[in-house]
Amino acid sequence: MPDPNAQRYDAIVVGGGPAGVSAAITMAREGLEVILIERGRFAGAKNFFGGVMYTRALAEVLPDFQARKPPWERPVTEQGYWMLAPGSVVRFMHASQAYRQDPADAYTVLRARFDPWFAQQAVDLGALVVPKTTVVALIEDADGRVIGVRTDRPAGEVFAPIVILAEGVNNLLTQRHGLAKADLPPRFVALSVKQYIGLPAKEVSARFGLAGTQEGLAIDIFGDATLGLPGTAFLYTDKAGISIGVGLLLEEFVKHGLPPYAVLERFKRHPIVAPYLEGGEALEYGAHLIPEQGYDRMPELVADGVLVAGDAAGMVDALHREGTNLAMLAGKLAGETAVMAHRAGDFSARSLGHYRRALEQSFVLKDLKQYRRMTDFLDRSPHFMGTYSGLVNDAALRYFTAHDRPKREMEREIVGLLRDRRGFFGVAQDLYQLVRGMRG
Amino acid sequence: MHTIVAIKQVPDTSNVRINPETGTLIREGVPAIINPYDVHAVELAVRLKERFGGRVTAITMGPAAAAEALVECVEQGVDRGILISDRKFAAADTLATSYVLGSAIEALNAEDPVDLLLFGLQAIDGDTAQVGPGVATRLGLPLISYALGLESFDPVARRAVVRRKAERGVERLETRLPALLTVEKEVAEVARAPLPNLIRAARYQPELWTAEAPLRFDPDHIGIKGSPTIVGRAYTPPPKTPGERLRVAEQGLAETVSQALAAILSAGVVESLGPVPVTPQQEVSHG
Amino acid sequence: MAEPGAGPKIWVFVEQDGGRAHPVSWELLGAATGLAEQLAGGVVEAVLLGHAVQAIVPEAFAYGADRVYCSDDPLLAHYRNLPYAIGVSQLVQAHQPEIFLVGATHLGRDLASSIATRVRTGLTADCTELSIDPQLKILAATRPTFGGNLMATILCRQRRPQMATVRPRVLPLPERQPGRVGELVRAELGLREADMPVRLLGFEPAAGGADIEYADVIVAGGRGVGGPEGFARLAELAEALGGVVGASRPVVDAGWIGYEHQVGQTGKTVRPKLYLAAGISGAVQHRVGMSGADFILAINRDPEAPIFQVADLGIVGDVAEVVPELIRQLRARTAGAQGGSHA
Ligand SMILES: Cc1cc2nc3c(=O)[nH]c(=O)nc-3n(C[C@H](O)[C@H](O)[C@H](O)COP(=O)(O)OP(=O)(O)OC[C@H]3O[C@@H](n4cnc5c(N)ncnc54)[C@H](O)[C@@H]3O)c2cc1C
Ligand SMILES: Cc1cc2nc3c(=O)[nH]c(=O)nc-3n(C[C@H](O)[C@H](O)[C@H](O)COP(=O)(O)OP(=O)(O)OC[C@H]3O[C@@H](n4cnc5c(N)ncnc54)[C@H](O)[C@@H]3O)c2cc1C
Ligand SMILES: Nc1ncnc2c1ncn2[C@@H]1O[C@H](COP(=O)(O)O)[C@@H](O)[C@H]1O
Repeated sequence: MPDPNAQRYDAIVVGGGPAGVSAAITMAREGLEVILIERGRFAGAKNFFGGVMYTRALAEVLPDFQARKPPWERPVTEQGYWMLAPGSVVRFMHASQAYRQDPADAYTVLRARFDPWFAQQAVDLGALVVPKTTVVALIEDADGRVIGVRTDRPAGEVFAPIVILAEGVNNLLTQRHGLAKADLPPRFVALSVKQYIGLPAKEVSARFGLAGTQEGLAIDIFGDATLGLPGTAFLYTDKAGISIGVGLLLEEFVKHGLPPYAVLERFKRHPIVAPYLEGGEALEYGAHLIPEQGYDRMPELVADGVLVAGDAAGMVDALHREGTNLAMLAGKLAGETAVMAHRAGDFSARSLGHYRRALEQSFVLKDLKQYRRMTDFLDRSPHFMGTYSGLVNDAALRYFTAHDRPKREMEREIVGLLRDRRGFFGVAQDLYQLVRGMRG
Repeated sequence: MHTIVAIKQVPDTSNVRINPETGTLIREGVPAIINPYDVHAVELAVRLKERFGGRVTAITMGPAAAAEALVECVEQGVDRGILISDRKFAAADTLATSYVLGSAIEALNAEDPVDLLLFGLQAIDGDTAQVGPGVATRLGLPLISYALGLESFDPVARRAVVRRKAERGVERLETRLPALLTVEKEVAEVARAPLPNLIRAARYQPELWTAEAPLRFDPDHIGIKGSPTIVGRAYTPPPKTPGERLRVAEQGLAETVSQALAAILSAGVVESLGPVPVTPQQEVSHG
Repeated sequence: MAEPGAGPKIWVFVEQDGGRAHPVSWELLGAATGLAEQLAGGVVEAVLLGHAVQAIVPEAFAYGADRVYCSDDPLLAHYRNLPYAIGVSQLVQAHQPEIFLVGATHLGRDLASSIATRVRTGLTADCTELSIDPQLKILAATRPTFGGNLMATILCRQRRPQMATVRPRVLPLPERQPGRVGELVRAELGLREADMPVRLLGFEPAAGGADIEYADVIVAGGRGVGGPEGFARLAELAEALGGVVGASRPVVDAGWIGYEHQVGQTGKTVRPKLYLAAGISGAVQHRVGMSGADFILAINRDPEAPIFQVADLGIVGDVAEVVPELIRQLRARTAGAQGGSHA
């Protein structure tokens, strides 16, 4: 029996990350009384990610976001890949005038700054943001419909006809409500460790050949950075610092007994990487999981009185290091669905099914569907990153140092390298799998 | 009943870093917290409110960011938060601080008579323990510093019995109310605040008092002008030249220990390796 | 030297409890003597309040006071803020000292700020160093701030007296000069019990009071000692060395040993002749409490532990191994020494 004095709202959002805040903004703007509950000291206190935020999704949530002065680090004006081998690198970078618009398509950000700003926008639009409080359970009525949440505080129950779960990758509530299977197996979750290294803004610009803080880089790095294991490393330029990290499937860390921080330290000492970081001061250090279960293993998104959005629902496109944008759009669609449900006075799973359909129309589920086989591919071809990165570097060395030999010979050698390392059949198989992974 | 708690926002000194080249404090990125003693003062005030009714006001003099600290007090159960903030208060020493807080408390007392004033024992950034006694003195109120707890509290008879930590033991003091207490952490264990408090705090905006409104503070008594002390020089303590390091792993246990004992003896810091020496305390007691 | 009484007065508050002076008062008299020498005609004067405290007066002379203002009154028998603050402030106003030093004890910190507020002057807390600024000829009071991360020298240019509190054991105890004499000035303060808002109902002396503050040898342990059993062994070592046991904060917080043993910023400042730090990392908050020791011996298995930065001698090794060996060798020595004296 709910306590008549209990706190009642139109909607409860669990989690103050991009998904939760987007949902809160969307509902508050439509006049719903929204309470967002966040366990951190403030929204974003403990959140972190690699560093690139995409503005198209943000514009969907907050069309006038630029006027609200988000705490951008740098716009991404150049991006691409480094294939790292021990002692060498092949860089594959793309700079374009298309990246130089205001607002830019993507910016680097630090979550400890961005998330509080984003949450403040929700507050300004009328949502209530309650920090330092963890939701420990969903409250259900006799028919199993969700009607509220219980928190870890005294007098800590809150009621609403709809709860949006945006609790991130550790989706305990989603699991406990039976929407997701138990914890993701280590094959389907990556562990990423990252450091934010402080350096004077001028120094960052100079080291990466940027004209100033109006230019920035986003680099994904393969090969030796992860000891050749399937995974990626990244290096992004912030305003006065560098975000650097490595991520591997949890399974790889376990299988090879690798301490995650040691992998990052090794990467930071790589002779190509180290000079960029020299003299910097490590200001932030952390580890975070990334759900990589793919489309086929996503949790249920809807049940009576509840919706799931963002990492909690496995909405990450690992290939393109996208997550916040999926989370924001999903949050917005969840918010819109809640508003519609209020209008219809119907919070049943059927009524809330609109959410799933809207997601299917959007890039969120389209992209996730397309790359549904990516994890499987990496899973089956663990040598992919390591072998090919090494190969490309060796090939490059031959190519660029073969000054006094017939070019044919050099080409044959490069092809030979490929055959020695993987065998033609292997290569053909890899390519097939890769294309399948990309096509969906 | 009405309790006023003075709180200060301080940098978390466990996170302070020093720029080794300039010897200056790097304040950037150091999280600001409520002075730990003050948190216990707030808790005591909230407990008393639960028992005797009434309300709790928290006041602080500090930069705009200190509003956060007042919001945290509301989370803990404080009813009203007042931020006294103005550039003109900058560089205040404890005399100027106690003038400002004392004047503000007088004004609040005129609105709603105060039964109890609570201060933290000391602020961890300055460690002076001077502001509480200073305010009590200005207001002509009984002061009990180093309060460990209330043995009894009677807002009607206007009396309280307080346990106070003195140099060599614990005093039991009876005081008339209103009184000012500076508190040790023992006065009240901080409980987890209930959710309705956090909900209230989420929208709470502390009142802002400047040097001119709603009170006009005497410009000669605030900020630099009102502060007799000034910082002449600040520097990081010079590092000492470290002594020799004996390694057990290299020299073996017995040899290392025997060398260390020989070094202690030859440094002349212990005369013999015998029984207990006489302390000066025991000496003067004869005089 | 100018005639006593003509030059600036350097005051020291003599703290007493039940007729026993707190040694910090003598440390301050030592400092005051040094300051007086740097100010032309400077005189050292002591202020003593209490009941039945006559015996302390000659001690004050012996430790360097040229004159003692003494108020002896049953009302002052136990320290209370208000009568003491009113009384001392009256004396300050009447005699206009230039500098006024008070011990940074519980009593002193309670009292000094009330006096400073009454006479509207500046007060610098918890100083670790006092000197006269050579140009300005005023007190330069240096103190740690920000948890010992920074030292600040504080000046009080205009108002008088220039007040400072100093922690016990920060300054050396001066030589006692038995038979040294000075002038005793009896002060009538006109205090009435009826005006006093606070009454002492009772007093419970601290149990087991380990007086680490004034110990010559301290064997201190930190988290590296491993647990309460480790502390039992430290106590043995302390006994063998004729000292007492100290501790870092985490082990006090963990309940391995009582708070009265804690050394550091939020514990006690100590100044022993020998400080043995076992399994203590040497965080700045700990170091501010013990770096004044004459000789520091650190035992730590981490050769990079910051404690080695302040240690006169370090042992890189396991506490669990080194401490028993120290005990063994010490016992062997004393046994040997005793044997020797018999022969
Ligand atoms: C190393 C790394 C690099 C990444 N790089 C990028 C990138 O460059 N670009 C990109 O777009 N994405 C990136 N991502 C992915 C992106 O960070 C996530 O997809 C995104 O943050 C998901 O948002 P969310 O709101 O669903 O979850 P989160 O951001 O994880 O937010 C969940 C929130 O819920 C709170 N919470 C959880 N449980 C409870 C509870 N029970 N009660 C109350 N509060 C609770 C948490 O404290 C947290 O604030 C990266 C991720 C990692 C780990
Ligand atoms: C505001 C504030 C006030 C503080 N006040 C104080 C204070 O008054 N006093 C105080 O002490 N601290 C104080 N601290 C805490 C201080 O910052 C440190 O955390 C504390 O001093 C560390 O205690 P420790 O050296 O015992 O423990 P640790 O830092 O954990 O160090 C243990 C050491 O033991 C060594 N060790 C471990 N095992 C062994 C072994 N078997 N043999 C040999 N060596 C071993 C380790 O190498 C390590 O160096 C304060 C902190 C703050 C923020
Ligand atoms: N600026 C301030 N605003 C409000 N209270 C303060 C301020 N400064 C000190 N205090 C109070 O006085 C106590 C002692 O501080 P301090 O004398 O600076 O060590 C603190 O614990 C606070 O309760």
